[in-house]
Amino acid sequence: MNPLLAQFLAEANDLLAQVDEGLLQLERVPGDPELVNEVFRAAHTFKGSSGLFDFPELTRLTHAAEDLLDAVRGGRLTLDSGMTDDLLAAFDLIRGWLAHVTTHERLPASAGTDAAGLITKLRAPLGGEAAPAAARTAGVPAPVIDVAPDWLAWLDAEWLTETAAWLATTSSTLRFVWYTPDTDCFFRAEDPLHLVRQVPALEKLGVVQPEAWPAPEDYDEYTCMLSFVVVTRAAMGELNHLFRYVPDQIEIVELDSDAITRHLSGEPPLRAEEAVSVVVTAVIDSEVSADARAVLQAAHRALTLEGAVAEGARLRSVRHAVAAAAWALGVPVDVAESSPDELIATVVRLAGEAAPAPVAPIPAQLQTQAVAPHEEKEPVGRADDPGGQVGTRVLKVDQEKVDRLMELVGELNVAKNGLTFLADAAEEEFGSRVLSRRIKDQYAGLHRIAEELQAAVMDVRMLPLSVAFGRFPRLVRDLSRRLGKTIELVTEGEDTMADKDVIEALGDPLVHLVRNSLDHGIETSDERIAAGKHAAAKLTLAAVADGDAVIVEVSDDGRGVDPERVKRKAYEKGLISEEELETLTETEAVDLVFRPGFSTADQVSDLSGRGVGMDAVRASVEKLGGTVTMRSKFGHGTSTRLRLPLSMAVTQVMVFSVGGQRFGIPVDLVVETVRVPAGEMSRVLHQEVVMMRGEVVPVIDLARALDMPSTLAEGADRPILVVSVNNQRVGLLVEQFHREVDVILKPMEGLLAYADEFSGTALLGDGLVLLVLNMKEVLGLAARVA
Amino acid sequence: MPLELHDETANLVGVVTVDEVEQLAGWLRAAKRPKVSLRRCNHLHTGALQALLLFRPKISSAPNDAFLAAQVLPLLTGSSGPANKQGSDPP
Repeated sequence: MNPLLAQFLAEANDLLAQVDEGLLQLERVPGDPELVNEVFRAAHTFKGSSGLFDFPELTRLTHAAEDLLDAVRGGRLTLDSGMTDDLLAAFDLIRGWLAHVTTHERLPASAGTDAAGLITKLRAPLGGEAAPAAARTAGVPAPVIDVAPDWLAWLDAEWLTETAAWLATTSSTLRFVWYTPDTDCFFRAEDPLHLVRQVPALEKLGVVQPEAWPAPEDYDEYTCMLSFVVVTRAAMGELNHLFRYVPDQIEIVELDSDAITRHLSGEPPLRAEEAVSVVVTAVIDSEVSADARAVLQAAHRALTLEGAVAEGARLRSVRHAVAAAAWALGVPVDVAESSPDELIATVVRLAGEAAPAPVAPIPAQLQTQAVAPHEEKEPVGRADDPGGQVGTRVLKVDQEKVDRLMELVGELNVAKNGLTFLADAAEEEFGSRVLSRRIKDQYAGLHRIAEELQAAVMDVRMLPLSVAFGRFPRLVRDLSRRLGKTIELVTEGEDTMADKDVIEALGDPLVHLVRNSLDHGIETSDERIAAGKHAAAKLTLAAVADGDAVIVEVSDDGRGVDPERVKRKAYEKGLISEEELETLTETEAVDLVFRPGFSTADQVSDLSGRGVGMDAVRASVEKLGGTVTMRSKFGHGTSTRLRLPLSMAVTQVMVFSVGGQRFGIPVDLVVETVRVPAGEMSRVLHQEVVMMRGEVVPVIDLARALDMPSTLAEGADRPILVVSVNNQRVGLLVEQFHREVDVILKPMEGLLAYADEFSGTALLGDGLVLLVLNMKEVLGLAARVA
Repeated sequence: MPLELHDETANLVGVVTVDEVEQLAGWLRAAKRPKVSLRRCNHLHTGALQALLLFRPKISSAPNDAFLAAQVLPLLTGSSGPANKQGSDPP
């Protein structure tokens, strides 16, 4: 793919997200000028860069959106939700197009028709003023003969007269183009003159200069101040194609001799057009010249009326009138001695010149129109302006490259860990204590660097939680509209950072939770008012960093979970026994919603309630090494708390051995390691237990659970690893404790995928493969074995 | 190089792009009685044309390019008369 296009697509993503977010915020805080500006700028940038590629539909659609936003920005319109819907729809359509572009490098064939409807909708609040231009370019045939526009005045009258005559003789027409480039068009690599010179069969070119040039020292050579009047024999289609990227900056009319003559004679156009932007200076000028023209017409009538003014006083008065008119028009003539015939010739000549010719080089109004948008806009950074950099320089890097870097860091860690084995070997095998020490020193240095490198790479992978939260404003808005509930979404702690894998993996569980809240948790406005709550429900997404973990909480002030109902449902579905139905506490009852197959929803909606919700959430969070807990107060709301490790790339594991083989267990789970004299072990029912600080801790013989030979001697101290699983303490009887190591956990794949007892494998420094236990499954296994 | 700038004279050669606009405007600003030859110029960027229109240097020789000669030159030489086609070519 063209690198420029690839870059555009990458940026487009960001811009679209920005627009989406801005629009939603704007709906909440209508008229916030800062927000409007932000959205407008994003749309504007989007349109600008889309012009680089041959996607005219894209440019036109974004242009329509931009116009609407511009009107909002200018305070001419207030944004209502209908407009927001249209704008969102427009940008959604664009997102779809871009997905197509990503694979096919062109817009879908239906783009033109899809866009047309939206463009009309977007233009509608603007009074459809720009619609004709869009419609014309969209292929609707233009009326054959337009009304001569005011800007025809920029062409010199003599040429127009000749042309009109020729057109009358040949009964043909000419196309007139009025092209006012944007003042900042040079920044978009547009060269209006170049565009103009490409116009085929160019008949006449008029360059309109500003009324007053700025002083040379104030002159900004990058502001386009010129406008062009182009007269051509080229067909409408050719012109539309040529100017397809600047449809907003041009006006094309097709004129025949009548239209031009009418313009020349200063008669009002036959069809009253809403050409409100009548050139101001021309008006002032034409007041005088219109009088003059009237006088001349009267004189002409008088003179051509046979015999009416042949002689004497009548002739003198006509002469006088003509002279005065001529003077008013700025072309004094000496008619004192003219005969009636000469006088007629003079009048005809004067009438030609009396066509409203521009006196000042550019109409004041057009000038301000052209300059004003420029002033409103943010100062455009020049390509060569070194001070234009805003914020820090951001390097966009492919994710895969960062992943690769992370992998290499992992390899480095493994290689580094190999040094400690080498140090041991130096001492034990080669008997050199000194060498062992030096290797350990080297190891310490290498370790520090590797740690820092790892931290740096992790930092690169860190993303703010706002990435995960980003899609929710839209989701909540759409769903709440569909459900007819009023919901205010509050996000807190979006700038909390977490590893990108965590952020990505967080997406689906969060969507589940939010949907659940919207669908089941939050009541309708009527119910809320009846319950004495505020009509608008509050849904909070909050994130906080908690040491090595990040806590994400989804809470609402809805109806909460009814523990009795949950228990009853769970019992009905056979998830709990009758005793449990009686004995479960409220907290435990709430936790039932995480059981597979549980659903309290009486009806399955298309949002949630298919019974695959909460247990899927818990499963996917636990897969990430996190936990989910739910607290709920019936009638007052629910809050679900996800606790996830900040990073999943590197796991700290505690290594121990069982039956002569080494295993690992995530350090997070380890509470303590103890050696218990064999005599202190006791049995309760069939379960071995140990008393620790007044607490009975069940002990599981891992060797038995994993079906491995037990190598512990009778009567020797029992090494016990105390872990905490689901807030319960469990002791694991192992053979020997080893060190803690940082490993990169590789999931069990392929032939080993069925082995749920292990959460993954890791390579140790001495080349050994370490199996890391999945404690939950191991406990289940132990229960089955016993 | 599309711009050959001397003290009081300049040659515009080939296609004058937007990149040359700033330099040209700077030269026009500084020169007391600028003279510009368009003889070998094939195209002027709008920005360059605009600068020429603002500073109105004397056009010492007409462009060979048909479009420039027919449509652009009359603007630069003004309505005062026909283009000075006999102008000498600066070295």
